[in-house]
Amino acid sequence: MEGIRYPKENTLYKKKEYTQIGQSKPRIDGVSKATGAGKYCGDLKFPNMLYGKMLTSPHAHAKILSIDTSEAEKIPGVIKVITHKDVPDLKYGISPARWDENVLCIDKVRFVGDKVAAVACVDEETCYKALKAIKVEYEVLPAVLDYRTAMNEDMPQIHEEYPRNINTEIHQLFGDVDKALEEAYHVRTDVFEGQRTYQCPIEPHSAISIWKDNKLTVYSSTQSVHYFQYYIAREFGLKMGDVRVIRPLVGGGFGGKLEPTGLEFNGAVLSRLTGRPVKMFYDRAEMFAHNRGRHQGHYEITTGVSKEGKILAAKANFVLDGGAYTSLGIATAYYAGGLLPLTYDFENYQFDLVRMYTNLPACGAQRGHGAPQPKYAFESHLDNVAEDLGIDPIEIRKRNARQANTNTCNGMGIQSCYLSEALDKIEEITDWKAKKEKGLPKGRGIGMATGSFVTGAGYPIYRNDYPSSSCMVRVNEDGTSATLYANAIDIGQGSDTVLCQMTAEAMGYRYENMKIVTGDTETAPLDFGAYSSRQTAYCGWACKRAGEEIKAKILETAGFMMHLPPEDLECEEGIIFSKSRPKVEPITFEEAAKKYFIIKGPLVGTGVYTVPRLGGYHKGAPVATSPSYSFCTQAAEVQVDEETGEIEVLHAWDVHDAGQIINPALMKGQVHGAFGMGFSETVMEEVVFNKDGKIINPDVGGYRIITALDMPNFTNDLIPSNDEPATPWGLKEIGEGSNNPTMGAVRNAIYDATGVNIATLPLSYEKVWRAIKEKKEKEQAAK
Amino acid sequence: MSNFIVDNNGIKRYLVTINVNGIEYTKVVKANTLLVNFLREELDLTGTKKGCELGDCGSCTVLLDGKPVNSCLILAIEADGMKVTTIEGVASTSNLDNIQEKFLEYGAIQCGYCSAGMILSAKALLTENPKPTEEEVRAGISGNLCRCTGYINIIKAIMAASGQEVLN
Amino acid sequence: MYLPDFDYYVPASVAEACQLLAENIDCAKVISGGTDLLPKMKHGLLSPQILVSIKKIPGLRKIEYVQGKGVVIGAASTINDIVFSEVVQQKYPSVSNAAHTMAANQVRHSGTVGGNLVSAVPSADMPPILMALNATATIEGPNGQRQLPVEDVFCGPSKCLLEKSEIITEIIIPDQAMTGSTYFKFALRRAGALAVVGVAAAVQVENDVIKDARVALGAVAPVPMRAKKTEEFLIGKKISDELLEEAGKIAASECKPITDFRASEEYRRDLVRIYTKRALRKAIDHGHI
Repeated sequence: MEGIRYPKENTLYKKKEYTQIGQSKPRIDGVSKATGAGKYCGDLKFPNMLYGKMLTSPHAHAKILSIDTSEAEKIPGVIKVITHKDVPDLKYGISPARWDENVLCIDKVRFVGDKVAAVACVDEETCYKALKAIKVEYEVLPAVLDYRTAMNEDMPQIHEEYPRNINTEIHQLFGDVDKALEEAYHVRTDVFEGQRTYQCPIEPHSAISIWKDNKLTVYSSTQSVHYFQYYIAREFGLKMGDVRVIRPLVGGGFGGKLEPTGLEFNGAVLSRLTGRPVKMFYDRAEMFAHNRGRHQGHYEITTGVSKEGKILAAKANFVLDGGAYTSLGIATAYYAGGLLPLTYDFENYQFDLVRMYTNLPACGAQRGHGAPQPKYAFESHLDNVAEDLGIDPIEIRKRNARQANTNTCNGMGIQSCYLSEALDKIEEITDWKAKKEKGLPKGRGIGMATGSFVTGAGYPIYRNDYPSSSCMVRVNEDGTSATLYANAIDIGQGSDTVLCQMTAEAMGYRYENMKIVTGDTETAPLDFGAYSSRQTAYCGWACKRAGEEIKAKILETAGFMMHLPPEDLECEEGIIFSKSRPKVEPITFEEAAKKYFIIKGPLVGTGVYTVPRLGGYHKGAPVATSPSYSFCTQAAEVQVDEETGEIEVLHAWDVHDAGQIINPALMKGQVHGAFGMGFSETVMEEVVFNKDGKIINPDVGGYRIITALDMPNFTNDLIPSNDEPATPWGLKEIGEGSNNPTMGAVRNAIYDATGVNIATLPLSYEKVWRAIKEKKEKEQAAK
Repeated sequence: MSNFIVDNNGIKRYLVTINVNGIEYTKVVKANTLLVNFLREELDLTGTKKGCELGDCGSCTVLLDGKPVNSCLILAIEADGMKVTTIEGVASTSNLDNIQEKFLEYGAIQCGYCSAGMILSAKALLTENPKPTEEEVRAGISGNLCRCTGYINIIKAIMAASGQEVLN
Repeated sequence: MYLPDFDYYVPASVAEACQLLAENIDCAKVISGGTDLLPKMKHGLLSPQILVSIKKIPGLRKIEYVQGKGVVIGAASTINDIVFSEVVQQKYPSVSNAAHTMAANQVRHSGTVGGNLVSAVPSADMPPILMALNATATIEGPNGQRQLPVEDVFCGPSKCLLEKSEIITEIIIPDQAMTGSTYFKFALRRAGALAVVGVAAAVQVENDVIKDARVALGAVAPVPMRAKKTEEFLIGKKISDELLEEAGKIAASECKPITDFRASEEYRRDLVRIYTKRALRKAIDHGHI
């Protein structure tokens, strides 16, 4: 009964700010993770369980002529081999606008790694032997490997339904761009190119399927139990109520685990056919092949500005490499241009984009979704414009900064916004002015950029009218604990923890007494899951409402027990006291809860949140809308070895307008992680293919993500606020906006250090070396 | 040399005795059984994670006779007669290890998949070098990849566990 | 991933190990640290039916100074044994530091110096510094023992000149007149990354004149290579920045790098120029570091 106090004098009368939120409570799953006791999907075992693996295509584009599984079937320990004949032929995809993927390929394969067959065996080792024994005859077709030329007339067509390999096209126009550009003092166009990157969560994907008595249970390393339930049920013609999806601990997602994969679909079929549980998993190379990482793109940006640097119009013309399938790419495409008008206020905007099919792994949503590469392009471009005009980079951003209670030209409504303050602050804490005035040592440079992101996508991925999030809270019969049932998905970002903090705050209870049941479609109510930085705000609303319902019920019971009207009572940290009569002895939450159960039965509260209608009416308007947006500024100081091109980030800063902070330690961790990923993508990361479309570096030795030695020292700062009306307690997202500015900030620092403009990601040491060398050669020639 | 028997397929099965977290386990393994799979499959010690299986990520780090190694690149048979410490052996039955405490306190855990290996690397580091510099801490965990935290809170936690001042 | 089946032997002596290898000449491989071998087996690049473990053979894992011989490093010494060896730190900190640049801690605790040589990876971190210090490998086989300069161990990527029944038992860094040595590794990440270029230099300096020099390069040829033209150019010359710059240029011209996804040939050459210059300067100014 630790934590319960019976103050003689009521000392709680003066309302404290908050007791459960705004504090670095330890993670609710922390001990299980620190001790190795916590179970991830790959750690689970079931009696009689089989192991499954998929055979994938070695060719980027090929017709399947025949598949012979007979040799594989003879191997002892091989229980079942399946091909497209054994699985539904209904096409699927997370994006309902384009269902274009088969559970197993029927007539042709479209990338190295496309799914061809699957096996279920008694152990992992036998799976690999079985895969080797399956004989597939292919007729190799010419492949489309460069998205920039994928549209050409002479290119092979990857999907019958999509001529010239165009997966999606966007043409949006707001205001009068041509006129504004004509009238502008200065117009500049820059072209940038991004690279393919991969989420690379440390935990590989895995799924365990158990199909028994017409009911399918799937354990999966997923970011959304709901979308998995919906799409798995759809694929097999099952009622959603007969599909149970369970999320054990998830070892990172970053967007890559939002959509069901061949592991779930083929595992289900193998389980149905064998009558046994089947565990399927990707190894690291297979994860890279499955991919769904960040799209690479070609980004042309034109802006027209006034003499003072005010942006009058912007034009974004983008081409994205979508890979072989749609995945989440339609949303990616809309995000790519949709979010650009967020941090800077301009009236005239044109956004054109094509997303191309290629014979490469499909791209999807990676942290920040479609926004980080376009934002890198825009922030780099803006520094170029500032230089043209002789204006300081922070100054030009101040002159264009988004203000509170404004609308973007493309129909997004912004309420709370402290971007200007974040610009002032970053200038101050980086000692920007002094560094700019005095100059930095040779090879040293400082750069900055702004960022912003949706606090939750305004609309679900497939059209439905369910609420965005919902939850239940049940208080234990004796009141000593409360359990939150929610299908918000903790993929490491800490949603289980902050949701329990918020629930406890709303209940007037204690975080330490909270339990959570989550990630199970059969026990907890609907939530769309962890993507678009929505969990804390959306499920937070549900938790707040459920908690408040509990509190109202508790206070009513307490009023009866204390002979006081419930309106006179308050409950904080599990102590119920009179607001008007300090001398009245408080009672505990536990006492009141127990009494409630005795009189009325289970003490339960429910909460639900539905996003209000948002956005404009143009095509694609729903994407990038959100009830609320975070804003931030980031800066990096770099040292470049001018001989070798080696880049070292000496220090990095982040100033965030993230509203009410629920858990400062977790908030900082999100910012560090986002910056780290962004920095890693800026300088090191790239999925590289050979001329046949096969990944050269499908491992974390060759695909370099930063180590502890590469991460710079970091300063977190905040513009504190809690006036965002659209979110519970005025919070804002933190997980994705934090890597929105990173690439631009690092690029601008490298430019400041070297004077070389490298327009393609990653800004590798070699590119820096080459650019410096070319610059020197030019300077020599000019002499 | 370990004793072995030959199964019906002509594959040798070797008898090994490995001390894991203070307990001696005698098991029959194939020569190709990796230590990580031995721990996870034979002993159900699933705290040791598989991340890359090529020695690049450090998720499967265990202490072999006190030294951190990637258990995905060690054969179980090579560990015959040796002492292995996994994450399950770091905390005593009633208390967390100081490093684990600090990982919790400093928000050094997010998804947790790298945490086991990270904590074992930290454990090895502080055992050899009780007062490491920040740079030594970074080097000590540089074989453990983390995709969530940007390492900052992990470095702080290890500095704190060594009793040193942690700057914010 | 999985390892194909194999039999596993733990010989008690070098002679027994060589005999096992000789008896199974086409299907046996030596396993020492396994950090290079096992990934290759998981990738299906090698599928030996027999692995002969030499890690526990008595005497193969020791590092000592032997009068008249030099620093003797047992082939089964781990990379971290070298990093932390008092003998090495005292005589040649440059070797200890070079060892520390390799991979990451876990791999350094398993991987061995003998394995680092016989795996003959062009970008390996131990060969350049050992070559710069004129180290030799002691090789034992069924027909007895022989000595080979470290630089002669390699004959191509992943290929070395050992007979299939031979093993390296020790590496000897002889006593020397060199006054300084160092190894620079240039990689694209600060840990767990292969060298894009590795440059080791050893110099004997007397009165500002280079009396002797050895420069060895990693990752810029099919095998770790000596930059002999560079060495010849340096010997007998008075030290100056211009001299070292010129030496760098010669090294850049005599190396034979390839372009791969980590770096282009052109970039590697220029890195050789830069790091040859830097390595020479460091070895001249700071001794064996």
